[in-house]
Amino acid sequence: MNVIILKNNLKEGLSILSGIKKESSQLPVLKNILLEARDDKVYVTATDLEIAVVHGIPAKILEKGSVAIPFSVFLQIIQNVSSERIHLEKEGNVLRVYTDNYTAKIATTPPDDFPIIPSIEESKKQHVVFDINTLLDGFSSVMNASQMSDFRPELSGVLLHMLHSTFRFVATDSFRLAKKEYIGKKIDTSFQDDDSFIIPLKTVQEVVRIFSNEKGTLRIDCDMRQVLFETESTTLISRLIEGNFPDYELVIPKEFDTKVTCNKDEFVSALKVVSSLSNRLHEVKLEIDEDLKHMKLLSSSHEVGESEHLLTVKVEGKPLSLSFNWKFLFDGLKHVSSDTVFFGFNSEQKPSLIQSPQDETYLYVITSIKSG
Amino acid sequence: MDDLKTLWQQALADIELHISKANFLTWFKNSKLVEKNDDTGAVVIGVSSHFAKEWIQGKYNKVLLDILQNIDDTITRIEYIVLSSKEVEKKLFEKTKKVKEQPSGNQVGFIEFSADPETNLHPRYVFDSFVVGSSNELAYAASSAVSREVGKRYNPLFVYGSTGLGKTHLIQAIGNEIVRVHKKRKKVKYVPSERFVNDVVWAIRSRRMDDIKSKYRNIDVLIIDDIQFIGGKERSEEEFFHTFNILYQNNKQIIISSDRPPAAIPTLEERLRSRFEGGMIVDITYPDYEMKLAIIKNKLQEKGFSLSDEVCGLIASKIQRNVREIEGVLNKLYFYKELKNSDIDIRTAEDIITNTLQQNTVHIQPQQIIQTVEDFFEVSHADLINKSRRKEIVLPRQIAMFLMRDMLGMSYPDIGDKMGKRDHTTAIHSYDKISKEIMKNKSLNQKVILIKEQIQKNPS
Repeated sequence: MNVIILKNNLKEGLSILSGIKKESSQLPVLKNILLEARDDKVYVTATDLEIAVVHGIPAKILEKGSVAIPFSVFLQIIQNVSSERIHLEKEGNVLRVYTDNYTAKIATTPPDDFPIIPSIEESKKQHVVFDINTLLDGFSSVMNASQMSDFRPELSGVLLHMLHSTFRFVATDSFRLAKKEYIGKKIDTSFQDDDSFIIPLKTVQEVVRIFSNEKGTLRIDCDMRQVLFETESTTLISRLIEGNFPDYELVIPKEFDTKVTCNKDEFVSALKVVSSLSNRLHEVKLEIDEDLKHMKLLSSSHEVGESEHLLTVKVEGKPLSLSFNWKFLFDGLKHVSSDTVFFGFNSEQKPSLIQSPQDETYLYVITSIKSG
Repeated sequence: MDDLKTLWQQALADIELHISKANFLTWFKNSKLVEKNDDTGAVVIGVSSHFAKEWIQGKYNKVLLDILQNIDDTITRIEYIVLSSKEVEKKLFEKTKKVKEQPSGNQVGFIEFSADPETNLHPRYVFDSFVVGSSNELAYAASSAVSREVGKRYNPLFVYGSTGLGKTHLIQAIGNEIVRVHKKRKKVKYVPSERFVNDVVWAIRSRRMDDIKSKYRNIDVLIIDDIQFIGGKERSEEEFFHTFNILYQNNKQIIISSDRPPAAIPTLEERLRSRFEGGMIVDITYPDYEMKLAIIKNKLQEKGFSLSDEVCGLIASKIQRNVREIEGVLNKLYFYKELKNSDIDIRTAEDIITNTLQQNTVHIQPQQIIQTVEDFFEVSHADLINKSRRKEIVLPRQIAMFLMRDMLGMSYPDIGDKMGKRDHTTAIHSYDKISKEIMKNKSLNQKVILIKEQIQKNPS
């Protein structure tokens, strides 16, 4: 293999692979990345055997070939080299990395030892094409509500659910639930109604990180065991989470004891200032008394002190006194797109709802903290 | 099935010689031989991930085929499939585990995710998974009769029994069965009595008693768990009494569970007690050895996990009191197996079981055992330790010795010493005799269990 490649392109390519964990006590070859020179591009590949990422970097190919080299050493060199053009040339068992005034020889591993990247089973393949912004917005709107869990692996990911020609992104850790919808009329897809699959949280985080700089469309292929995300330059393949996602519609409340509408930014800044004195449970209490005009946000911590913040809000329904984990509240508010926010509160045992009054595609269900 | 397993074990042993340990562990861990077609000579090998499939198929196919053919020359080709994560039995997030702050116990979760929000019933409790044996067959028969003839046959149905014997399972199963048969037409509600009390307290505080009345009085099947907790809470008792009457008059089914019979709930109001006693009262007692064995087998099947018969037998004989403890021990064994990735032999199992049970026995003194046995059989200390051979003395004496060995693991000479300077062979004989006797004699077994419970309840 012998190629000439631009430093910045290579650097960017390597940063795309940087999220894949490359430590493995079991299989040392996973510390490596695979470089393959073919068809005007150098393809770099990394995998941790859960996820694999392949990225193509435009380059001048003088001689085809492939080689596996340790990622961290290579990254350090590329980050610090000053020249724009970098030559990569394989000589026997070493890769020579050189510029006009610099030469390095890196010991390599035979490319045959690098894991073979699996592919999607052709016969069961379904696809959907998203605008990248739409997909990333869908993921980032809900992924905070998910959490790694050994007990309920099916919750350790984001559900993608096609229902009544909408695409739904859903995530929950059983204490809160976030849902974002997209009307699917214009979306190119072969999924059937009510098809769904669960993408591991780690994969979702990587997808958001890797593709956030790209524009255009992204294609998802899925055989219900694995999922592949693909743009022109980058592909990511991951195993899906097996198991049944709980019936999330059940937890979305339809009726409320107290309905509150208020300015979102005011509420968020009130929440932030009050949160600094909250206790270890991140507890913030929301109170509305009989006059039904103001909401009080209260916090208190034994060691530090207490605080309260008064907000003018629009209230319909009964007085209120409920405690929440402010971080959970905050996670939900972050993705409300409008200036005003709607809260549908319910008694302690039942979950409450956060939503934009203008935009029904996003909603966030949150459970309270039992008082006392 | 076993043939496939042995065949694959043999093959794995051979493969291990051909490739490095790292490669072997990464690619062949959790693999298994799924199927062998004798006609076509094809075998199907299940592997843990798509990566492993690609790798083994690409790199080791030929080696593997040679090895397999060496063992069994009818094999002509190999197919590969990826096992689902459940079959692989591995933790998906071993490597990426990031412990985020867990919300505290006060954080309310979505209960809907496990129980039905309408009925509060947990779908996992059904009649099919309930192991029936002599200790609970009456309760089971009454329950299934109730689920068939709602509100007509046995009303109220009162199920009592000690903790961890399956009361909740049984009464929830009635509810689930009624829901299944009657679809949505019958309104079933399962309420732990604690919840009922909370509701009443809340209603009193917020002056919303009417809500409670309407909530509980338009139900077709009301299932109240652990009713003993309601005893002594007057307002809740009164509210429950009225609810009970209204439902009863309208031929609605009421199902109640408790850890003791109505007569033995100390603070329960008389009028409630007499109402409970007016229906069908059934008890669940301690399961015998065979039934425990059946329960263990059942649980193992549920979890897709296997243990040798020897180990199952050990668990069944060691754990006397509580089915929930069986589950606890099984979970421990399961984790142990995961951890070491090896089968569990009888010795390890014994250690794990003793460890689990030891938590209960730490503070017990031999003196306590003697005292409790004396109290239970109403014999004097002098009688117990002297040389009398009267039957009503000999049995308690033997039980005391048995318990010292069984619960405290004391040495035989030591036991003999404690029991009035007897010879250690007497202690051995007593232990053997009672061990055998409780297998055969159910009422004796019950007695021994009761005494054990007493001892554990009153640590001095």
